[in-house]
Amino acid sequence: MTDEPLLEVADLKKYFPVNAGVFGRHVADVKAVDGVSFSVRKGETLGLVGESGSGKTTIGRMVLKLLPATSGTIRFEGRDISDISARQTRELRRRMQIIFQDPYGSLNPRMTIGEIVSEPLAIHGIARGKARMERTVELLRLVGLQSSHLNRYPNEFSGGQRQRVGIARALAVEPQFIVCDEPVSALDVSIQAQVLNLLEDLRERLGLTYLFISHDLSVVRHISTRVAVLYLGKIFEIAERSALYEHPLHPYTQALLAAIPVPDPALQGTQKRVLLSGDVPTAIAPPSGCRFHPRCPFAFDRCSVDEPAMREVAVGHSVACHAVENGTIR
Amino acid sequence: MALLEVRNLRTTFKTEDGTITAVNGLSFSLDAGQTLGIVGESGSGKSVTSLSIMRLIDRPGRIESGEIFFDGRDLLKLRDEEMRHVRGHRIAMIFQDPMTSLNPVLTIGEQIAEVVRLHLGRNHREARETAIEMLRKVRIPSPEKRVDDYPHQFSGGMRQRAMIAMALSCNPQLLIADEPTTALDVTIQAQVLELMNELQRETGAAIILITHDLGVVAETCKDVLVMYGGNMAEYGDAKQIFNEPRMPYTQGLLASLPRLDAPANARLKPIPGQPPNLHRMPPGCAFAPRCTYRLERCDTPVPVTDLGNGHLARCWRCTEALVPVGAAQ
Ligand SMILES: Nc1ncnc2c1ncn2[C@@H]1O[C@H](COP(=O)(O)OP(=O)(O)OP(=O)(O)O)[C@@H](O)[C@H]1O
Ligand SMILES: Nc1ncnc2c1ncn2[C@@H]1O[C@H](COP(=O)(O)OP(=O)(O)O)[C@@H](O)[C@H]1O
Ligand code: SF4
Ligand code: SF4
Ligand SMILES: [Mg+2]
Ligand SMILES: [Mg+2]
Repeated sequence: MTDEPLLEVADLKKYFPVNAGVFGRHVADVKAVDGVSFSVRKGETLGLVGESGSGKTTIGRMVLKLLPATSGTIRFEGRDISDISARQTRELRRRMQIIFQDPYGSLNPRMTIGEIVSEPLAIHGIARGKARMERTVELLRLVGLQSSHLNRYPNEFSGGQRQRVGIARALAVEPQFIVCDEPVSALDVSIQAQVLNLLEDLRERLGLTYLFISHDLSVVRHISTRVAVLYLGKIFEIAERSALYEHPLHPYTQALLAAIPVPDPALQGTQKRVLLSGDVPTAIAPPSGCRFHPRCPFAFDRCSVDEPAMREVAVGHSVACHAVENGTIR
Repeated sequence: MALLEVRNLRTTFKTEDGTITAVNGLSFSLDAGQTLGIVGESGSGKSVTSLSIMRLIDRPGRIESGEIFFDGRDLLKLRDEEMRHVRGHRIAMIFQDPMTSLNPVLTIGEQIAEVVRLHLGRNHREARETAIEMLRKVRIPSPEKRVDDYPHQFSGGMRQRAMIAMALSCNPQLLIADEPTTALDVTIQAQVLELMNELQRETGAAIILITHDLGVVAETCKDVLVMYGGNMAEYGDAKQIFNEPRMPYTQGLLASLPRLDAPANARLKPIPGQPPNLHRMPPGCAFAPRCTYRLERCDTPVPVTDLGNGHLARCWRCTEALVPVGAAQ
């Protein structure tokens, strides 16, 4: 790992318009991503955690240029890719790829496994004929499948096997950077570990860099070098893995970690549980000031008025919280 | 006496590729007021088991054989109208996605009130009062106003709480909750689980909690049934299952979890292979194709071994100190 950022995202926003009435009048915006900045260094895995609807997928799709950003900049390998042409975007896809959450919906049911994995090779004119076939088989082997799987269809495969096919397809163009959007969430527990190990092996062997999106804090802790915590379209805390899990500062991060049930009855009752009250507000009208204030046990008058800015509190550990800033939480 | 006793339940489905046995000779029991967790991979038969108890298996499915004793009576022998009375009144069920079981064109209050009228014979005004009371119990804020909301006006967590309110409004003796928190965020999940625990202490209902989340089970259930390929793999109290598992599948499942209390860099230990295909079940142990301890006799049908203190395991080798066989990977 180097300190050189492969990806740098600054003040990225995505507002989805909400239309209503017979004329489809624009009445509001879903502020899915509301000013997010982070960077991913070459060779590292940045974990992006947040509850459902917090904007994780939207960030991943904007980074890959699968979705236009409302504002903000995205730099990849030092180059601003915010406004590149369609041709340049296609070029970029050889460098960055995505693995989706749903191993059922993301593979075309009418294509064979061989066709699915070799499609990017054809699109990018990387290899043809016999070479393409050989490369396809090599890719299947790389993810633990066999050449005998080439002519079979996705419905003949289990979820874990389909996810392997999705990984093989993403790897076909030899990308440097992969957005993994909840790659194991749809898989059975006994299969999740297989796919996580595979992703780790591939990172090491191929020198990959990941943006790893998940709502599962145990999975993220396992696979990430650094972790960013997202809530309603904002990053609340970002830190090295050990700092985030052993010394979380933001009240939301603390509550999230405390809410994870531990699979060991012997440990029950040993952890202090901060039960958050209230529901997750909608991204259409996020609360004023700190958007966590209606649920925050530390909230004070300033929190409903001023939005806290991200501040670095220790090397590589940034938090957006007034109570951390004034020393109430340390 | 047990409140619920399932004996040798077998439920099949006719599919294009032949008949599959979704639940294959399952037996277990549950005492009044207790919480039983059912865990297992997707397709292991958890939902079919609960739907069988509710007698909600429709064609192409069929309960082939078995007995389901509830409060002393075999549910499978009841007439349809007797079973209708049991459903909702004595046994209630909540599903993973509350939207599928809430009627979108009726208000939350009307739906709870209807259940109350139907089963408790209350009049309209009383039923509405009960609905508000139940919503208050599940901590919906200003229930006297929200009672007139439609399901889409509730958040996911609120809908699930409304479902719990509805399920508990008739004081059932047994509540079956099929993945009640899977669609919810962890902070909301913690609220819902806490609420279920609290209501159980208050009403004394027994609960069957179906989930794929081993953490949820460890935190909420007294007993645990681990299912694999349509049958019991292991059964015991939470301590036996989580701290002294004897069946290799349970052991493998626990070992494969990334845990917050394990070293962050430790490599995960997956269970090799794929979940079973019900169309091609092995002749003996369903887990045999993935098991590192497999011996020849594992290809013959496996009896349940009683390990004492209520701990049961379906494995030929569950009493041995296990060592992997050969160079199995
Ligand atoms: N209506 C149906 N028609 C045909 N097969 C069915 C039907 N319902 C269930 N099955 C089959 O029965 C088996 C057990 O299904 P079940 O729904 O009980 O699994 P489960 O353990 O609840 O899984 P999950 O964790 O995915 O909810 C599966 O192979 C499933 O495909
Ligand atoms: N195409 C879209 N149109 C309108 N709203 C959307 C669209 N895609 C996502 N959203 C909204 O943006 C927010 C963030 O969504 P998403 O990025 O998918 O969250 P996550 O991946 O963290 O679950 C949610 O409120 C979601 O409903
Ligand atoms: S800024 Fe205030 S409301 Fe927000 S997390 Fe910090 S203490 Fe809580
Ligand atoms: S019966 Fe044999 S194959 Fe099955 S779990 Fe036990 S040792 Fe493994
Ligand atoms: Mg998503
Ligand atoms: Mg199910």
